[in-house]
Amino acid sequence: MSQLAQRQAFATFKTHYGVAHPQPVQKGNTMALDAKIPGGPIAEKWDRHRFELKLVNPANKRKFTVIVVGTGLAGGSASATLAELGYNVKTFCIQDSPRRAHSIAAQGGINAAKNYPNDGDSIWRLFYDTVKGGDFRAREANVYRLAQVSNDIIDQCVAQGIPFARDYGGLLDNRSFGGAQVSRTFYARGQTGQQLLLGAYSALMRQVAAGKVQMFPRREMLDVVLVDGHAKGIVVRNMINGQMERHAADAVVLCTGGYGNVFFLSTNAMASNVTAAFRAYKKGAFFANPCFTQIHPTCIPVHGTFQSKLTLMSESLRNDGRVWVPKKPGDTRKPDQIPESERDYYLENKYPSFGNLVPRDVASRNAKEQCDMGKGVGETGQAVYLDFADAISRDGRDVIAKKYGNLFQMYEKITADDPYETPMMIYPAIHYTMGGLWVDYNLMSTVPGLFVLGEANFSDHGANRLGASALMQGLADGYFVLPYTIGGYLAGTAKANVTTGHKAFEESEKQVTGRIDRLMSINGKRTVDDFHKTLGRIMWEYCGMARNNEGLAMARGMIQELRAEFWENVRVPGTAADFNQSLERAGRVADFLEFGELMIIDALARQESCGGHFNEKFETEEHEALRDDDNFCHAAAWEHTGDGQEPEFHKEPLVFENVKLTQRSYK
Amino acid sequence: MNWITGTLGSSIGKKLMMAITGFSFCGFLAAHLAGNLTIYGGKEAFNGYAAHLHALGPLLTVAELGLLTFALVHVITGLTLFLGNLKARPVRYAVNKSAGGRTVGSATMPYTGVILLAFIIFHLMNFHFVDKTDTTIFNIVANAFSNTGYVLVYIVAMVAAAIHVSHGFWSAFQTVGANHPKYMPLFRTVSIAFAVVVGIGFGFLPIYIFLLA
Amino acid sequence: MTKTINLTLKVWRQKGSKDKGRFDTYHAENISTDMSFLEMLDVVNDQLTIDGKEPIAFDHDCREGICGMCGCVVNGRAHGAEKGTTLCQLHMRHFNNGDTIAIEPFRAMAFKVIKDLAVDRSALDKIIQAGGYVSVNTGGAQDANAILVPQEVADLAMDAAQCIGCGACVASCPNASAMLFTSAKVSQLALLPQGKPEAAKRALNMVRTMDELGFGNCTNETECEAECPKEISITNIARLNREYLKAGFFSRSM
Repeated sequence: MSQLAQRQAFATFKTHYGVAHPQPVQKGNTMALDAKIPGGPIAEKWDRHRFELKLVNPANKRKFTVIVVGTGLAGGSASATLAELGYNVKTFCIQDSPRRAHSIAAQGGINAAKNYPNDGDSIWRLFYDTVKGGDFRAREANVYRLAQVSNDIIDQCVAQGIPFARDYGGLLDNRSFGGAQVSRTFYARGQTGQQLLLGAYSALMRQVAAGKVQMFPRREMLDVVLVDGHAKGIVVRNMINGQMERHAADAVVLCTGGYGNVFFLSTNAMASNVTAAFRAYKKGAFFANPCFTQIHPTCIPVHGTFQSKLTLMSESLRNDGRVWVPKKPGDTRKPDQIPESERDYYLENKYPSFGNLVPRDVASRNAKEQCDMGKGVGETGQAVYLDFADAISRDGRDVIAKKYGNLFQMYEKITADDPYETPMMIYPAIHYTMGGLWVDYNLMSTVPGLFVLGEANFSDHGANRLGASALMQGLADGYFVLPYTIGGYLAGTAKANVTTGHKAFEESEKQVTGRIDRLMSINGKRTVDDFHKTLGRIMWEYCGMARNNEGLAMARGMIQELRAEFWENVRVPGTAADFNQSLERAGRVADFLEFGELMIIDALARQESCGGHFNEKFETEEHEALRDDDNFCHAAAWEHTGDGQEPEFHKEPLVFENVKLTQRSYK
Repeated sequence: MNWITGTLGSSIGKKLMMAITGFSFCGFLAAHLAGNLTIYGGKEAFNGYAAHLHALGPLLTVAELGLLTFALVHVITGLTLFLGNLKARPVRYAVNKSAGGRTVGSATMPYTGVILLAFIIFHLMNFHFVDKTDTTIFNIVANAFSNTGYVLVYIVAMVAAAIHVSHGFWSAFQTVGANHPKYMPLFRTVSIAFAVVVGIGFGFLPIYIFLLA
Repeated sequence: MTKTINLTLKVWRQKGSKDKGRFDTYHAENISTDMSFLEMLDVVNDQLTIDGKEPIAFDHDCREGICGMCGCVVNGRAHGAEKGTTLCQLHMRHFNNGDTIAIEPFRAMAFKVIKDLAVDRSALDKIIQAGGYVSVNTGGAQDANAILVPQEVADLAMDAAQCIGCGACVASCPNASAMLFTSAKVSQLALLPQGKPEAAKRALNMVRTMDELGFGNCTNETECEAECPKEISITNIARLNREYLKAGFFSRSM
């Protein structure tokens, strides 16, 4: 029913706009960005770089203050590690406690090239799988480094007391995960993200107790402050009393996660937002590949217009669950009444070697394709089955319960269906965003002193992220990369000793307050969520799983119109100097309304299909993404040129010296 | 001494004191009950038991002082815990429902405790601190329990004791850390069984005497 | 298939920690039974906003039962009456048309009300700061498989480690005690070899801090276990007692 209502709503939009033509967004100035990738063979780059980086003397570290925004895997681990090294750290988070960052919701696991199962894994294979999985749109050197430090992460986490799954002998257990043919995923039941985050959180708490980290919870970052072109502080809103607070430092590290909530419905937490990253973008940090968004194939289908978020079922379920739809379109029989011969196990049939374990983008698009053919199941027809009957009869209910018990329980709570008895229904949903602020090899953005870690940056996953790689990247950046590279920046830059009295802070606070006052004074008729939902529908319909130039161009106009209406007709109740959740959301939605347009600009500029960015015009005969390596083998980084102006396009060409670009195949 | 007060003064330390003193009272109750059962053997048997007990002399005084100390520790610590717990939730819930964890015993510990304290004072005044020169303990008891009021007071008190013990017994195991999947169900069953024994064992005596008279 | 119900809500409204607070009554109409409890509150808040009133403040974030941010007392039960469920995972199909629902914040001296249903649970962070960690700096850890951990021990540690820090144990404890929360972390780390070196100090410091923060005392009412959305067992409390007493009487830590 919601689908129908959506379509009708858009029909009105369509008549209004007509069907626009793709616009040439790519402008003349395509100065190549310097990623500062160290020279030498790929396996030696990181070692060599660490040697070449300047060091901060241990006694001098305490003279430097670093601001870390966000306390997920990247922010938590970076804060703790920087403090351990001796830096003074000020850490900010939007939740009431750093332990609640959305990394906590990651279920399946974390990859590492340990090769414990002796099945042929290696750093090189993890590197190769990740580059290929990202559809050859990631930076080789970064991915290799990621694979290298992946093993250190597992060692570190075990030492912290993280109760990873073990086999009977007491060794660590591994499982396989989407997009890989080896078992390299470490896990803690279906709550790996939680356990890893609590590990980073406990390390952070230890540093808070030691007085090296000052923790500021319930703060929302609203601006980065630049002094002489360097990031020297932030302005935050205290979410309890609405007061503005200024914080100065020698460097700023953003670990503020992804922007999946631009779609309104996503698996992201309610407070996940683009504001911090977008404010940095407005201050000069380039935003790279915003159109690269990941759709996770195994989510609980949408079931009503009131729905506030989508729930992911870990992809690990695809290890034992079999995906199928009825062979006949429009088959409304109950799943147990459809005989084996009338079921289409489309992933197994189409991709015999990877089967149900194809990468996320492939699994998602295939689900959509089946539903578009009318073979979708459930009330809305927007779902496919994930069936455990075979696994249960093979391994027994107990074994399955041990592996997935909490996921099955969660599914039953939400849907009131018992997956032990009847197949799960799943459908793809927005889950992760590969795009993010552009960073160089040191994880520094185009604003000197502004570092970006984890999902908030763009660097490691290309156009599609493999399962169990997000946790790996967040922790790699925070534990093992930034702590080195930030030293290089701090040692190589003259210490400025900026205080919050500086006029840059004053201007920034004035601007932020002005924006809040404006939001409070509109007093219109529509709620913030109402706007957000409308934006989300536009994005999902035209910039979601499959895109086309006409739709994108039309959506751009729709967003502009919606944004104009927002600033005239949004209603934010209460006052600014108070705990005001509507105001918090209004600020975030205002940014999403601008950011959504940037995503579309990027999607239009990338006239190819790759990974999560699937332009219907560019597909292979088998309906796979068709890349154009001659013209688009680059990261697209966008520079803000002023409100209402076209952003300026910059290009970081991606050079593949170690991996041969091929058409991805999972057959 | 700092580490001792530090350890015992904490919430867990206080609970340890409650558990240890509580355990002792359970032992005392068992012994007391065993002694009291001699009443079913008639006047001579009961008086004989009393005489035997008094023959212990200074040993008995030591035991009495020990019990008194334990009682003071149990009462004062219990009171401290109770007041601390009240303070820990200054604004109460308007609607309060149990999730199924509490039992009658656990929910009423402070109240059954107060009833028992009052009863123990009453009991000691009646049977302990009385002039026993011209009479025997059996006569005092028989005399007291010919009064319906006395019988009722005793029955109420013994029900309270049973309820108190039903939680106290297993709870003491939990407090000292003795919770094992193999044995905890047993502790909980014994807890109930012991409560029933205490309730009926002590509670039926006044009725028996009353009916006898 | 989608059913709708009408409800009367009695919601605790409190402007700030100094305000006395009161119950206000709202009507939630045409609530789909597929909604979660928080989505129902979203609907009520949307209406309040449109009517020019202030929406009800409540904490929430992941809405999939893992972040621990949400939680209120619904009809006298922390996170509502469903077992092993956070408020965000409580669905309206468990309510009937015409029900009256009382919604209160988690109440404890250590949890001050910030606004309406949102409370300050930073005390739980302070307990962790007192020792809920293994003191290893980043880097230099030995190979992850160097120390064997029996599967059963890892499982027990994981059972305890599942705690989401929502504070429902405190909210549901008749004494507002934080023993289940504290014991979950102490247990996880006491069970694993990596946590053993600091076990004594950890138990002493975490319990001391818990006491100082104004939480009540555990009287083994076991309401926490019954209400915990992750069904964490009170065997962890017994283990904490053991660890604490062992540390208090036999270790060299003060």
